[in-house]
Amino acid sequence: MGADVWELDWAVLRYPGVSIKAPLFFSSSQFHQLTNSIIYPPPLSKQQKMAHKYSFNTIDSHNKVWNNCTITDGRSQLLTWLSPLEPSLRHQDIRERRIGGVGEWLLQTEEFRSWRSGSGEDESDGAVLFGHGDPGVGKTFIW
Amino acid sequence: MLTSRDVSSLVIDRLCDQAQGQNVAVACFYFDFAAQREQPSTSMLGALLKQVVSGMEEVPGEIAKAYENQKRVIGGRRPELSDILKMLQTISSENLTFICIDALDECAAEHRVKVLDSLHQIRQKSPGTRIFVTGRPHIQDEIGRRISGRLTTIRITPKRDDVIGYLRARLGEDTNPDAMDSSLEADILKKIPNDISEMYVYATTPRKLLRVIH
Repeated sequence: MGADVWELDWAVLRYPGVSIKAPLFFSSSQFHQLTNSIIYPPPLSKQQKMAHKYSFNTIDSHNKVWNNCTITDGRSQLLTWLSPLEPSLRHQDIRERRIGGVGEWLLQTEEFRSWRSGSGEDESDGAVLFGHGDPGVGKTFIW
Repeated sequence: MLTSRDVSSLVIDRLCDQAQGQNVAVACFYFDFAAQREQPSTSMLGALLKQVVSGMEEVPGEIAKAYENQKRVIGGRRPELSDILKMLQTISSENLTFICIDALDECAAEHRVKVLDSLHQIRQKSPGTRIFVTGRPHIQDEIGRRISGRLTTIRITPKRDDVIGYLRARLGEDTNPDAMDSSLEADILKKIPNDISEMYVYATTPRKLLRVIH
């Protein structure tokens, strides 16, 4: 019985959202009947798990999501092929350490606004906005 | 306190917030001295493309085809700079594209030339493409020379609110709060001038900062 429960946990753990609510008083054979009727997709890699939020409740949609995972996997391989670098992760890292409100004034400047909205008769006006700072200001902390 | 990285990430967030649900693509890249070897121009431009593509519902046919084709080559083959550039040009001609590059001066010189020339070519095809670059002042000329169109500059320097925000955050996480009393804190915050000069950047403790202000 203990092993059966562990198996159930295993299924739920691997595929959160698949709610197979087997009561604890299920007999071993009942439990096996239930679990044997499910075709388990191969376990997901850590990356796939992170790439996907699971929102499925039935066994049918469970399989559908499995297919999606295959597609997602192909897509992530394609993205890695384009470049091994992950600037979005770096961005997340930097923004989490950013102190709220700091630098906000820059977004209010005329320079930034007109660059963003591309004002001016010629589209190419204000094409490039260059923010410069001396290393002391730009790269170090005050303590 | 106010690093170019902070500013870049702020600009990117703002652009992304406003881009949602529209035909707008935002891509960013952070250069880093310490990672120069891992950041060649091909990977950098590929990373821009990657971000734009991952924001799309479907991978553009041209890219999917190129990916399938290279798989037939033994061991596969990475896309070349010219391929990536072409794909970026296609996407930026269909979407208003914002490209943000932090610390361009930390990119190796030979790769910097290629990055700037590629950006120039993207803009030639889609003049609406907008580029935000940060870096030390000396690379301004190089940017102006390589990318056509008007170059607007803005100085990244901490303002009063930045200093206050920073001080408050740091004081809040002080592990020895007894060293700071509320009157000292109030005094520091009160005495911060409107346009803080670089001099204050070197003040390393609240007390030193106070001394500098006095």
